[in-house]
Amino acid sequence: MLDMSTGITLVRRQSISGRLRALSFVGGLGTGFFITFLVLVSSGVEPASILNEFVVQVFFDLHGLAQATTTAIPLILAGLGAAAAMKLRFWNIGIEGQVWAGAIAATGVAFYDIGPESIRLYVMLLAAILAGAAWIAIPVFFKLRYGVNEIIMTLLMAYVIFQLVQHLLFGPWQDPSASFPVSPHFDDAERLSRIGWGAVHNGLWVALGFGALMWVLLERSKFGYCATAVGHNPLAAKGTGLPVITTIVISVLLSGGLAGLAGGVITSGAEYRLTQFLAHGYTFSGIVIAFLARFRPALVVVVAFLVGGVYVAGDTLKVFYGLSEAIVILIEGIILLSLLVWEFFSRYHIEFVKQRVPA
Amino acid sequence: MSSAFFLNWFATIPDYAAPLLLAALGLIICERSGVINLGAEGLMAVGAMSAVIVSFNTSSPALAMAVGTISATALAVIFGIAVVYFKTNQVLSGLAIVALGAGITGVAGRAVAHQPVPGFERLNMGFLSEIPWIGKIVFSQNIMIYVCIVIVIVTWWAIETTRYGLKLRAVGEDPATADTAGVDVLFYRFIAVLCSGAFCGLAGAYLSIASSQVWVEGMIAGRGWIAIALVIFARWRPLRALAGAILFAGADSLIPRLQAIGADIPVYLMLALPYVLTLAVLIIPAVLFKRADVSPSALGLDYLRQDRH
Repeated sequence: MLDMSTGITLVRRQSISGRLRALSFVGGLGTGFFITFLVLVSSGVEPASILNEFVVQVFFDLHGLAQATTTAIPLILAGLGAAAAMKLRFWNIGIEGQVWAGAIAATGVAFYDIGPESIRLYVMLLAAILAGAAWIAIPVFFKLRYGVNEIIMTLLMAYVIFQLVQHLLFGPWQDPSASFPVSPHFDDAERLSRIGWGAVHNGLWVALGFGALMWVLLERSKFGYCATAVGHNPLAAKGTGLPVITTIVISVLLSGGLAGLAGGVITSGAEYRLTQFLAHGYTFSGIVIAFLARFRPALVVVVAFLVGGVYVAGDTLKVFYGLSEAIVILIEGIILLSLLVWEFFSRYHIEFVKQRVPA
Repeated sequence: MSSAFFLNWFATIPDYAAPLLLAALGLIICERSGVINLGAEGLMAVGAMSAVIVSFNTSSPALAMAVGTISATALAVIFGIAVVYFKTNQVLSGLAIVALGAGITGVAGRAVAHQPVPGFERLNMGFLSEIPWIGKIVFSQNIMIYVCIVIVIVTWWAIETTRYGLKLRAVGEDPATADTAGVDVLFYRFIAVLCSGAFCGLAGAYLSIASSQVWVEGMIAGRGWIAIALVIFARWRPLRALAGAILFAGADSLIPRLQAIGADIPVYLMLALPYVLTLAVLIIPAVLFKRADVSPSALGLDYLRQDRH
C-alpha cells in the first residue's frame, strides 16, 4: 500500500549518513518522550512535576544521582550482556533467567560458606558469571547444533529458573527468622562494601571494569572485528574464513556471564540475600539499553545510567502518585517502539510519484 | 490412581487448552503471512485485563470477551503499522509489544486486580452431559470451549481451502510473486497481524473470564510464549495446533490434579513442568528427526517492491 497505490515508492538507502541516523534517533526519542508525557499526564501526574521527577530530582540532586547510579550498576551489566548477543543477532530474551542463575550461584556460595572468607566475594561473583554462562550454554548448543529457536528457548528457561528460585526460597534456603520467602542475610565478608555515597557499592567498579573490557573486546580487538562481521552477514563471514561458530559461542556465553554477574552484584551489593523479585524486568531493560546504545559498550554504560534514572523516577511516581511500577516497562516499550518506527525515515528514501509505476 | 483422578484430569484439559489454542491459531495466521509476532504475551495480557474491567463493571462475560478481543486488536494495530508499513525489526517490535502489554495492564488494571468477576457456567446438555466419562469431558464444558472448536475449524478452512487463505500463504512464502499476481502484500500482512491480535485478545480474555474469573498482574505467565512454541511444534498447521494444545494442556492441567491427591513432588518444581515440557517438544524432535524446514519462506523478512526478483 505505502509502496505503490498511494503514489509513494520506498527505496532502501545503500548507505545512511550519520546526520540522518542522528535525526531519526532524535525524532524517535522525542516522539517517545512526548507519548510518555501524555501517558503520565493521563495517569494523573502533574505535567509540571514530570520534569522535576525525571530530571531534576534524579540527575541534579546528589541523593537522586546516587540512587540512579546504584540502580545502574546491574543495568550496565545486563545491557552489556544484551549487546554482546544482539550484536551477533543471537536473540537472548532470557537475560532474567541468567540474572537468576547468577543470583542463585552467588547466594549458594554465601549460604554454604564455600571458600575462605578472604576471597569469598570473588568466589561468589565468579560463580555468578559461570552460572549465567552455563544457563545460556544450553540454548546456544541446541541453536547451533540443531537449529532450535533461541528466542523461545532462552525465554522459557527464564520461567524454569524462576520456579527454581521459588523452590529454594520457600524451601531449603528460606530464612527461618523471616516471614517472607527470602534467604538469610549474607555475612559482611559476602557483601560488596559501599563507597560512601548513598547506597553506591563497589559493584560500580566491577560494572565499569567489564564495560571497559567489553569495549576493548568488541571495538579494539580482532574478536570484535569477527563479531561485527558475523553480525552483519554470517554467511559472508564464513566464506572469508572467519571462525563464525566460535565467535557466536564466545559472545553468547559472555552475554549470559555478564547477565549472571548482574545477578551476583544485585545479591551481594544491594539485597544481601536472594529475594523473589530481584531479576524482574532485566530482560527488557537490557535489550532496550543495548539497542539505544547501538551495542557499543561505552554507550551502554551511559544509557544504563539514564535508564537507572527512569527506574528511580518510577519509584517516586509509585510512592507519590500510586502508579504501578509497571510504568517503567511501559515507558521503555514506548521509547523502543518509537525509535524503531523512526528508523524507517533513515533506512528508506521516500519518493513521491505522480503516477503509478506499472508493476 | 483411581478412575476419578483421570476423569477429573481429562475434564479440565479443554479449559487449559483453549487459551493456548486460540493464541496459537492467531499466530499461525500471522506467521503464514510472513510476520513473526512475538507480542502474544502482551496482547493476551491486554485482552485479559480489559475483559475483566468490563465484566467487573457490567457483569456481562460475553461483552467482556468482545472488549478483550477488541483491545488486543487495537494494540496489534500499533504492531502492524510498525512492522508492516514502517518495516521495523519484527523481533524487537514484538518485544516492545510485550512490554507495552505488561505496562498498560500493570498501570490500568490496578483497580480490578484480585476482584472476582462473573464468568461462564459449565453447560448442562441434559442426557448428553449424563453419559459416563464423555458427558463430563465433552458435553459439560463452558460455552467458549465449543466456540473454540468452531474457530479452529473455520481457521483451518479459511487458511487451507479458501482463495484468501491461498493469497495469505502466497504472501508468506513468496511475496514478490504474490505482488506480481496482484495481491496487496502489505495489506494482507496487516490484516493477518490484526487477526493475531484478536485471537490473542480472545485467548487472554478466556484466561481471565472463563478460566479464573479474576485478573492478577502477570497472570498470562508465559502462555503467550508457549503458544509461539506451539506454532513451531504444530508446523504452522491449525489442526496440528489443536492436537498440540491438548498435549500441552494435558501436562499443565496435571499439576493441580497431582496437588489435589497430595502427590509428594516439590510444588515449584512441578510448576516448572509446562515450560520444561515446551522446551522438550521444541528440542526433542529437532534432535531426533532431520526434518525439512516448513516455516513460511518469507517469515520475518520485510517486503519491498524493489526486492522483486
